[in-house]
Amino acid sequence: MSKSRRINRIIPIALCLIFLYMPIIVMAFFSFNKAKSLTHYTGFSTKWYGAMFANSQLLNAIFVSVSVALIATLVSTVLGTITAVALSKSKRLIKFTVQQINNLPIMNPEIVTAIALMIFFSFISFNKGYMTMLLAHIAFCTPYVITNVYPKVKALDPNLAEAAMDLGATPGETLLRVLIPEIRPGIIAGALIAFTMSFDDFIISYFVSGNGVENISIVVYNMSKRMNPSIYALSTVILVCIMIVLLIGTFMPYILYKKYGKIPRFVTRLGYIGLALLVIIAGFTSFRANTAKQVLKVFNAGEYADMEVVASFEREYNCRVIYETFDSNESMYTKLMGGNDYDVIVPSDYMIARLIKEDLVVKLDWDLIPNAKSLDTSIMYQDFDPKNDYWCPYFCGNVGIVYDKRNVTKKDLKDGWNILKNPKFKGDIYMYDSERDSMMVALKALGYSMNTTKPKEIKAAYDWLVDQRNTMKPTYAGDDSIDAMKSGNKSLCVMYSGDACAVMDENDNLGFFMPDEGTNYWVDGFVVTKTCENQTLANEFINYMISDENAYLHTVEVGYLTPNLNAAAKARKNDFPGNIAYEIRVDKNDESFDYQDNETKALFSSYWTKVKAK
Amino acid sequence: MKKIFELDNLSKEFDGQVVLKGIHLDVYENEFMTLLGPSGCGKTTTLRIMAGFEEPSEGKVLFDGIDIAGVPPYKREVNTVFQKYALFPNMNVYDNIAFGLKIKKTAAPVIKEKVTRMLELVNLAGYEERNIRQLSGGQQQRVAIARALVNEPKVLLLDEPLGALDLKLRKTMQIELKSIQKEVGITFVYVTHDQEEALTMSDTIVVMNDGIIQQIGSPTDIYNEPENRFVAQFIGESNIIEGTFVKDFLVAFDNVEFECVDKGFEDGQDVDIVLRPEDIKILPSGEGRISGVVTSIIFKGVHYEIIVKTDIREYKIHTTAYYEPGLEVDLDLTPDDIHVMEPMGTY
Repeated sequence: MSKSRRINRIIPIALCLIFLYMPIIVMAFFSFNKAKSLTHYTGFSTKWYGAMFANSQLLNAIFVSVSVALIATLVSTVLGTITAVALSKSKRLIKFTVQQINNLPIMNPEIVTAIALMIFFSFISFNKGYMTMLLAHIAFCTPYVITNVYPKVKALDPNLAEAAMDLGATPGETLLRVLIPEIRPGIIAGALIAFTMSFDDFIISYFVSGNGVENISIVVYNMSKRMNPSIYALSTVILVCIMIVLLIGTFMPYILYKKYGKIPRFVTRLGYIGLALLVIIAGFTSFRANTAKQVLKVFNAGEYADMEVVASFEREYNCRVIYETFDSNESMYTKLMGGNDYDVIVPSDYMIARLIKEDLVVKLDWDLIPNAKSLDTSIMYQDFDPKNDYWCPYFCGNVGIVYDKRNVTKKDLKDGWNILKNPKFKGDIYMYDSERDSMMVALKALGYSMNTTKPKEIKAAYDWLVDQRNTMKPTYAGDDSIDAMKSGNKSLCVMYSGDACAVMDENDNLGFFMPDEGTNYWVDGFVVTKTCENQTLANEFINYMISDENAYLHTVEVGYLTPNLNAAAKARKNDFPGNIAYEIRVDKNDESFDYQDNETKALFSSYWTKVKAK
Repeated sequence: MKKIFELDNLSKEFDGQVVLKGIHLDVYENEFMTLLGPSGCGKTTTLRIMAGFEEPSEGKVLFDGIDIAGVPPYKREVNTVFQKYALFPNMNVYDNIAFGLKIKKTAAPVIKEKVTRMLELVNLAGYEERNIRQLSGGQQQRVAIARALVNEPKVLLLDEPLGALDLKLRKTMQIELKSIQKEVGITFVYVTHDQEEALTMSDTIVVMNDGIIQQIGSPTDIYNEPENRFVAQFIGESNIIEGTFVKDFLVAFDNVEFECVDKGFEDGQDVDIVLRPEDIKILPSGEGRISGVVTSIIFKGVHYEIIVKTDIREYKIHTTAYYEPGLEVDLDLTPDDIHVMEPMGTY
């Protein structure tokens, strides 16, 4: 009886704990995975921890996150406490007004605060970087401190301060010896909230930082396209650190009470000194002087280079590369427009077209890029830049279909894109959850250009997709289809060739094909911005990145096809033997994306929304 | 005796509201002075100006003959005991009392000695380690007094310090406070609205109303010779009667002329006459100069409160004897029982 009752009590608690901690346990488990896979456990390994500590971008981000959080917490706690004390002594109208204003940033969607700060810093032409991030964090942390401290101050006996001064304490001594100890719980609560808010802030940091200053959230977000288990390793390390702090916080007072009967002063003093030292170190190192070296600001997609190459460039050319990452061409463009200065950017073809059109980039100095001789010219000299003056290819690929050889026959493949409408594969298809790629599939299946602006053709493509959705019940998936296909979850999957290459590496049952109706080929390439002050260094950087050896390192690290023919040949031989997805096809039916005019773009996105709506 | 505090023509305004209207007050060494008056009369403001928590809008504050305008509270040689004690909740009894000495960087053994002596003085020996929240109201009050006294101020300011205590404890503490004051021999300025408390403890009582000092005097002076109707009404109970000053040592009211001890008013002028309830004598019918009927009798513990109705007014009388309601009685007064004041409206 009592036993069953005890079990009845334990079950809900256990379920709740499992619900809360299961994802974290899974993550920690996979941080010790040998393979890069996020779903397949292939054996114990600590290599991702090694990778994490070797990743200078990540280490830098950890440093930025921790130091910004520490300093922002300190400053906002002092600021917020003083404000709360002052507020309690103010007239009622001021009190009310300030409290309401103070609540605003807390209630305000973070994105509004973020954009406001971004515009503000641009407006006063404050260079984005560590300082802007710190100021922004102080700004959004302070209201939380005020909210926590003010009620404590309000609850204080109004005569307390007078009593202290009456006994000879100056206003400063009164604050330190009487008022602060009284409101300490509120201050500590405020500081803890400020620290957590700052430490895991993404949105605001993303918009106000720049010049290579990134915190953990930004780096992880930009990595999420090509997720890498060192992120799990990092998260696990942070988790362990927090657990240690919590354990100390919980058990230290207990142990000390047992031993000394109270918390001895030397312990609290040690604690304060330790904290102060941390803040000072964080403060000093964050303002470490920029050596007078030449500086190059590079803006690349996340996880899109072998960072060792960048490091060796820094050494060889005695310069500093400020390396920042973005998650999509669109967000890159937003940051560029937001007043961030970069020297070298790596956008995709259609975005390169836009940058050229908007006169934001300058011609390359091909004399400084002799390594271009190894490049695949078939993907160059596109319509948006017929002489190929402005950009230098970095990675390229196609869109095709990954299929399970056990279920899909050679004959099925003859249908081209219309294989996606073959009733045999009903409910067995991943479509790529991207409006342009899906519309491309439909347009090509219908024999139109994927860059068409004719509403009639676009409507036809929409009908094709709706019909396919209704008859075939496909799953619209993003990058999660990559992992799913490694396990062979479905028979057909629309996929980028670079991802297909990685998938096929792990699953021998998969094949890859590109329909004869044509497909998309894409190129990402380097451009040099108009604001770049050291054109020579920028061109030298591009040259360095595409050299035979370095292009090889990049392609092996990233898994996408390099346009450097020598590097590609070597990789094909050493790393992707027999992998048919490690190729590029530029036939007469194949196209790359043009930059879309607004009307077509709107049409695409409204149709795509409708396709996905049901 | 030496003057410690001199308040000279002190006025104070808060947001256009005048709470003190030109106060003149001298505080002498070693005296127990009480500021007495109803709430809002300006007594606490006066005390806060002396402590330095408020600056006067007009007038001067002299301390030991020196103008201390603008001197902050932490530089004044006075200490305050607050109405709600204002003890430091995060410190124990010892640390509360030691606070002022620690601020002055007194040597630790000296602090220990002084705090111990203070705790003995306020009967709290052995309470050093107690948490403030564990103490009763009376104990907290004693800690507050000890915390102020340990600094050996020249003047101790007390702002209704017994207001939060129950009646019995208040009575005990009144006596204790008085004896502490005698023992340490420093000046106390004590604010209260309780006239009995003021009469019990004070050397000098300052009666205040509406930002103005009504009368300064010893408890007996204030009680027996109130200078005006306000003081008479505020201090103890009294029958206040409008009458005529016939000539020196003779007043008339209720159609009877009475001999009195007062002189110096104009002959025939209107005056107010104060009769304390315990001074009126009840005599059998026909033996006194005023006749009336007992209309009510209420038992008050030490005495009865009797209302006697005459043709003209009702008299309130305190007596230890019992009189049946409805009984016809006579009332009479001796010259000592009659106190003549300027009439209401002029002071």
